[in-house]
Amino acid sequence: MISVEVQYFASLRELAGCQRETLSTGAATAAELYDEVKAKHAIHLCRSSLKVAVNDDFASWTAPLADGDRVVFLPPVAGG
Amino acid sequence: MFRIEETTVNGDALRSELAVPEAGGCAIFEGWVRNSNEGRAVDRLDYEAYKVLAEREGERILAEAVERFGVERCLCVHRVGELAIGDMAVWVGVSAPHRGAAFSACRYIIDEVKSRVPIWKKEHYTTGDTEWVNCAQCAGHGHALESSLYARQTRLPEVGSDGQEKLKGSGVLVVGAGGLGSAALSYLAGAGVGRLGICEADRLEASNLHRQPLYEFGDVGEDKALLARRRLATLNPFVKIEIHPESLTHANADRLLEPYDVVVDCTDDFNTKLAINDAAQRAGKPAVFASIYQYDGQLQVMQPSSSSACLRCLWPEAPSPLDTGTCEQAGVLGAVPGVFGAMQAMETLKLLLGLPGLAPDELGLVDLMSMEMRKLRITRNPDCAGADGCVRTSAGPELEIDYWSMPAQARGGLVLVDIREAEETLASPLPASDVVTLPLSGINVDSPPLDRERQYALCCASGQRSRWLADALHARGFAGVRSVAGGLSAAHQGK
Repeated sequence: MISVEVQYFASLRELAGCQRETLSTGAATAAELYDEVKAKHAIHLCRSSLKVAVNDDFASWTAPLADGDRVVFLPPVAGG
Repeated sequence: MFRIEETTVNGDALRSELAVPEAGGCAIFEGWVRNSNEGRAVDRLDYEAYKVLAEREGERILAEAVERFGVERCLCVHRVGELAIGDMAVWVGVSAPHRGAAFSACRYIIDEVKSRVPIWKKEHYTTGDTEWVNCAQCAGHGHALESSLYARQTRLPEVGSDGQEKLKGSGVLVVGAGGLGSAALSYLAGAGVGRLGICEADRLEASNLHRQPLYEFGDVGEDKALLARRRLATLNPFVKIEIHPESLTHANADRLLEPYDVVVDCTDDFNTKLAINDAAQRAGKPAVFASIYQYDGQLQVMQPSSSSACLRCLWPEAPSPLDTGTCEQAGVLGAVPGVFGAMQAMETLKLLLGLPGLAPDELGLVDLMSMEMRKLRITRNPDCAGADGCVRTSAGPELEIDYWSMPAQARGGLVLVDIREAEETLASPLPASDVVTLPLSGINVDSPPLDRERQYALCCASGQRSRWLADALHARGFAGVRSVAGGLSAAHQGK
């Protein structure tokens, strides 16, 4: 198990009911971590419409996670 | 500089930061909060940002704009927090020596910021309810709007809602966003194919426009992959468009095809077609080919299986570009690639929907002058077919070099050979000294006037003819022959 900090923005923050949380997880990748988070908070957004950032930069869903990583799931953006 | 700000944006102060002696003007875009969106009356907005990543991605976009358009200064500031109607949400300013670059870069920055920077917008409606913009469609709330796009095609018994789901779950790579690609991409996006990849390295030329209705006159000089993505995203915002601004080669074809279910060949270059064919064979994915010559064209659907013929069964090696002809050399009426690109979209949709299409042992021939259509039976070439189909595993040596970006010392060891025809050479000489001119039409590949011991860099207009000649000479023992990737146009683009 590793410990990761997950941060939420916009619609995901409202669905998760918190800004950030520390999770102890067996997830090997960001994709697996999202599946856990999705189930935990009953989030209906599908992964294909999200992006993921690890340690403040965009990352691949299949990149391995390490202990202490900061992970952010990004809903579709709407700047401008 | 890209900045996220929590208080009112001061456009005048920002504007003064753009002024440098090199600039002949500036283009400024201001985005304001308006009082309605998609028919609903809006009261106010909340903007939220993932600040660290937003500023990092924003800086990347500004650096891309400087690199791509050669502008002097780029600034962008985006607000976060609560905004009222009329407040400024975003400010983009670009200064440049000339207006064209300033307008293009400004447009590029705002488009990229809207689609890439992690900033979110929550609309508060006058009715009291709220919604995070862009989240509705992925959460299913936008389903009614999306499905109305496909109402006419889901009515067909062969499509229906099940077929539409199949299309949405599919990914198609279109190689080449030119005449064939304009039509193929438009119809595939319109049909709701879930993911569309666009592989295209060229910039738009005015002579493209008569056959490439994806683009506009004002866009000449810009990257076609970016322009195509912008246009297709407005046509169907529910399709995910992925751009690959590079040329497909034997070296990168496997990587490019990997994320997709079907590949559509919309190129006019035989080497690229063979690279697509070989990679599709290796990956076990179908490929839809079209080739045109003036008013004629042919269509082939390659299905990897032991019984199906592939492109190499017909053409084991690339024919000479002098025999096939490109649009540039042979001429073309714009509607011709339009017809064939639409047919490629049709064959692709049938593949995705599991409907009967052009059989894998058929070559479709269409003459648009006489309006004759026929199908030729093609058989698998036993010399091409291995035990597991027509897989060609060795990609061959890498014969292309980035000549124009090589250091002078490395270029010195190569004899630069201009293989274009005399009129082309006269119209635009290669930007180098000591060029040997050797027009392709006068070269006998079996006895070329070249030295087997020397190193040559062959150059044509776009790298297609030189690539073919390098292949042909290499096969005949001229090991020191290389092709200048991208030809003369790569020198102009500073690649």
